[in-house]
Amino acid sequence: MAGIWVLAENFEHTLELLNIGQQLAAQLGTRLVALTNREKAKATELIAYGADEVLLLPVLPDDQPWEAWVSTLAEEARQADPDVILIGGTSRGQDLAARLAARLNTGLCSGCTSLKLDQENRLIMERLVYGGLAIQTVVCPTRPQMATIPPHTYTPVEPQPGREGVIRELTTFTPSPVKVLSRRPIDRKSADLSEARVIVCVGRGLEKPEDLSLARELAEVLGGELGCTRPLAEDLGWMPADSYIGISGQRVKPDLYIGLGVSGQIHHLSGIRDSRIVCAINNDENAPIFEAADYGIVGDLKTVVPEMINILRKVGQK
Amino acid sequence: MLKIITCFKWVLDESDIKVAANGRDLILDRVGYKISDYDRNAIEEAVRLQEQYGGKVTAVTVGPPNARLSLKDALSRGPEEGLFIHDSAFKDLEPAQTAAVLAAAIESQGSYDLIICGEGSSDLYAQQVGPRLAEKLGLPAVTYVNKLSLEGNQLIAERRLEDGIEVVAVPLPALVTVLPEINTPRLPGLKQVLAAAKKPVISLTKSELSLDFAPSLQTIGIQAAATDRRRLKFGPEAEEIQKVVEALIREGVVS
Repeated sequence: MAGIWVLAENFEHTLELLNIGQQLAAQLGTRLVALTNREKAKATELIAYGADEVLLLPVLPDDQPWEAWVSTLAEEARQADPDVILIGGTSRGQDLAARLAARLNTGLCSGCTSLKLDQENRLIMERLVYGGLAIQTVVCPTRPQMATIPPHTYTPVEPQPGREGVIRELTTFTPSPVKVLSRRPIDRKSADLSEARVIVCVGRGLEKPEDLSLARELAEVLGGELGCTRPLAEDLGWMPADSYIGISGQRVKPDLYIGLGVSGQIHHLSGIRDSRIVCAINNDENAPIFEAADYGIVGDLKTVVPEMINILRKVGQK
Repeated sequence: MLKIITCFKWVLDESDIKVAANGRDLILDRVGYKISDYDRNAIEEAVRLQEQYGGKVTAVTVGPPNARLSLKDALSRGPEEGLFIHDSAFKDLEPAQTAAVLAAAIESQGSYDLIICGEGSSDLYAQQVGPRLAEKLGLPAVTYVNKLSLEGNQLIAERRLEDGIEVVAVPLPALVTVLPEINTPRLPGLKQVLAAAKKPVISLTKSELSLDFAPSLQTIGIQAAATDRRRLKFGPEAEEIQKVVEALIREGVVS
């Protein structure tokens, strides 16, 4: 037996993993297996989206965390001996993957941003290290080769007409001693920046909280959202804690990112690396952000930003 | 008595890393070392719980012999005792190896109630050592915790996940990994630094542990992440800003 397994927290992310999973399955001449906790209707859909087999994970009682699936997955993996297991790199997925890898005595590439097969059919996997400064390339000499893949790394796969596949239900799980007492949504004080098309980001170069209104105005003119660097949220508290961008905060991929008084620390830069165009305004011409920007304006943001708003308004009127 | 173990990693300070002129190689010969950022939160949380509920905190690290320096730093942050597991082979371990070494060393030291780790290390950020260690020791694990308290023999933890907050209860012994939001680590003063030098450190080497040590992940390269940017610079004058806006319109990112 062999195969490529994919498992993610939601349907959209599963489709992203099916995209890369399908490529690997074709190259290895093996089956693509999607694991899901969703109802049967979704399982049928996953077959249309490219899965040869769908494994329905046991429905967990409300007080059980995902950890309860580890034994189910480990047992199934020992039987099926998949070549590759790809798990969606959300917090729950990361946790589950690490435990499963430990149970199976195999390696796991966390936060994998790129993977491909070499001539010996080994997975060559890349991930970011040192706060996003460098790319580490790893291989997993043990089986199955495992990776967690962050959301939005691949585009969702397209459905194909007339596909057939098998749906199988897994029923047993080992209850975890961890009991979930309650779940509640996060009281988000800021916009979700991960889908924003334009982001204006403020950094330490702002002198006082009042300067935020200038940044807000620019974001408004551009139809964008306002984000910040970590110190503005955590140290100064000028912005909500969940609005900071960086390797430990939000990762963004807008068409346009404009940094105002952002110096360009590596933790922040790694959160904006997928932006299409990076523009930076900073009065320190040696700020590292200029090395990571397409368009840099060296100047005082209190004069540059109003002028930019002015020009943008004129352009908008035409 | 509550026995807490907090695990930390001695990592190179990524802000000291320079990229060579070829844009690909990393220059690591002048970098400083530090306790991994989130592990400071782990140490702080262990000490905070000890102050609130009583007990003893042991700070544990795995590394090559020159990582010994890290113990003084860790102990100045409040733990009573250090456990230093060292060997020249313990350099650049992958997460499964680190977890295996930690598990063997922790088991050799008798009983414990709670193990606290950071959510991930600030160098490699694999976020695996905590859950893998729990798996090796057969412990329940609660990851990504931003609030922690004790109720009798139960730990109540708040996990911050992408889709919300999950409050869980877990009986001790257990392992948790903490997020940076959980606390603000104290800065040790001169008095704490001096006291740290007198605290006991248990030293263990590879030969004293029974270990299965084969790596399950191999690094075949580390290179600077290329940033393919235009790096065009403009001045603060209105005509310069005009040029930038026009360029942004041409790029199709402003309409």
